[in-house]
Amino acid sequence: MGVEPLDPATLPEHDNLPGNAYAYCVRLTGPLFVQTGRMIAHYPAGGGAIRFEPLTATSLGSMVAERFSSPLYSRDWVVANGQGHVILGDRGYDINSYDLDDGNLTVRAANLLAFDAGLELKESIVPGFLTLLGTGKFLASSSGPVIFVEPPVRVDPEALVGWADCPAPAQHFDAGWMGHFLGAARGALFGTRSGEERQYDFTGAGTVLLQSSERVLEDPHVLQRLEGEVRQLGTGQLQRLGSVVQQEIAQRQQG
Amino acid sequence: MTFTTVTSKVVLAQVAPGREVLARRGAMLAVTGRVTFSPVAGGPGGGAYGGGLAASLARGLQGEAVALMVAEGTGTVHYGFRGHHVTVIELDGSRPLSVEADRLLAHDASLSSSVVFLGQQGGLRGAVRGAVTGQGLFTTQLSGRGSVAVLSHGGTFALPVGAGRQVVVDPQAYVAHEGDLRVEVTAAVSWRDAVGRGSGEAVQLRVSGEGTVHVQASEEKL
Repeated sequence: MGVEPLDPATLPEHDNLPGNAYAYCVRLTGPLFVQTGRMIAHYPAGGGAIRFEPLTATSLGSMVAERFSSPLYSRDWVVANGQGHVILGDRGYDINSYDLDDGNLTVRAANLLAFDAGLELKESIVPGFLTLLGTGKFLASSSGPVIFVEPPVRVDPEALVGWADCPAPAQHFDAGWMGHFLGAARGALFGTRSGEERQYDFTGAGTVLLQSSERVLEDPHVLQRLEGEVRQLGTGQLQRLGSVVQQEIAQRQQG
Repeated sequence: MTFTTVTSKVVLAQVAPGREVLARRGAMLAVTGRVTFSPVAGGPGGGAYGGGLAASLARGLQGEAVALMVAEGTGTVHYGFRGHHVTVIELDGSRPLSVEADRLLAHDASLSSSVVFLGQQGGLRGAVRGAVTGQGLFTTQLSGRGSVAVLSHGGTFALPVGAGRQVVVDPQAYVAHEGDLRVEVTAAVSWRDAVGRGSGEAVQLRVSGEGTVHVQASEEKL
């Protein structure tokens, strides 16, 4: 008994490593977009090399500009090019491959590991999510196996991995909570929060992908997006925002 | 069977009138049908679903009360919490389940919950046990007929305890126990620990009586 060392000659073409849901092996057949920090090993083939090039300094500039339509996330991705195998992993999460055939699927940005150049990436209207369009394969991770649910369903924002073919969700606020909110004269909401008041509401035909919840408190993209939007505010609005931020910091320090 | 296991980390609950489900705040992953969530009135452990004033007082003393919310209406709810593993334990009403409030993901609202002061079980030793396991001095006891979903790190396994069959558990790996069990802290400190060459297993929980103890496959706390 023992763990067999990996043999580059028998690595899977496009599959999980044998008996390992947490690592995925892809043989490069063309340029592959990879999120930084997700590549855990690579095996160049035929004496060549696999190059990981930043999107800003790649030799495939026009292809990248066409396929990767998200300035916000461009610094978090590289293009892998060359001959050989790349092994990917993400925080010990389960990794699955998804096939799109002239379809669309939206996935949490942090859970998207890689996608091939047949697909086109765009930012979703829902913050923190990316939409893939076209025909090709991509890899996404989830805390535990993915659960597929059909609409109509309301989900916790933290438990959402992504969705396919159905319209983008609306935000739903629990009726009981809304009642308290509208009734409370000065926003005195103490003790009325169930922790579930904010949900994403999916309707229409399609599939919703779920995982066990995770807490992504410090998503760098949220900060980037907010910073980008701050410029649209007036001086008075900025001062108001400042006081909101101060309040939030004070609350965190208490809790 | 209120809860069905969806994956190792997620359970599905059927909610109907008269079959409400209590769960810790923030544990809802997805909901279908007409289900509403509200915090349990009067804070955790109080109101219609808790053990009344005494329980809420006890939880207040506990210092780390876990806020619960109740799911009412008709529909289904997926529950999970921060990617921890979930174990469903069925109670047939013959014996209660003792579990730390932190580890409680969800349970039938028909189960009655009370807060037990560990000092009552074996005096100071009970208190020491609470301190050793990092659970504080109070633990939650659920009784009645119904299902309970318990959180663990890495999944749990059940060990039967009976006459002449004691079980010794690592305090960090202890999750919950069913039945009227005596849980004592034993310190197997030897000269080896004094010179820093101990086994690292100096403090252990000795479980005796009639019932089942649930142990997680990890020494990591939640």
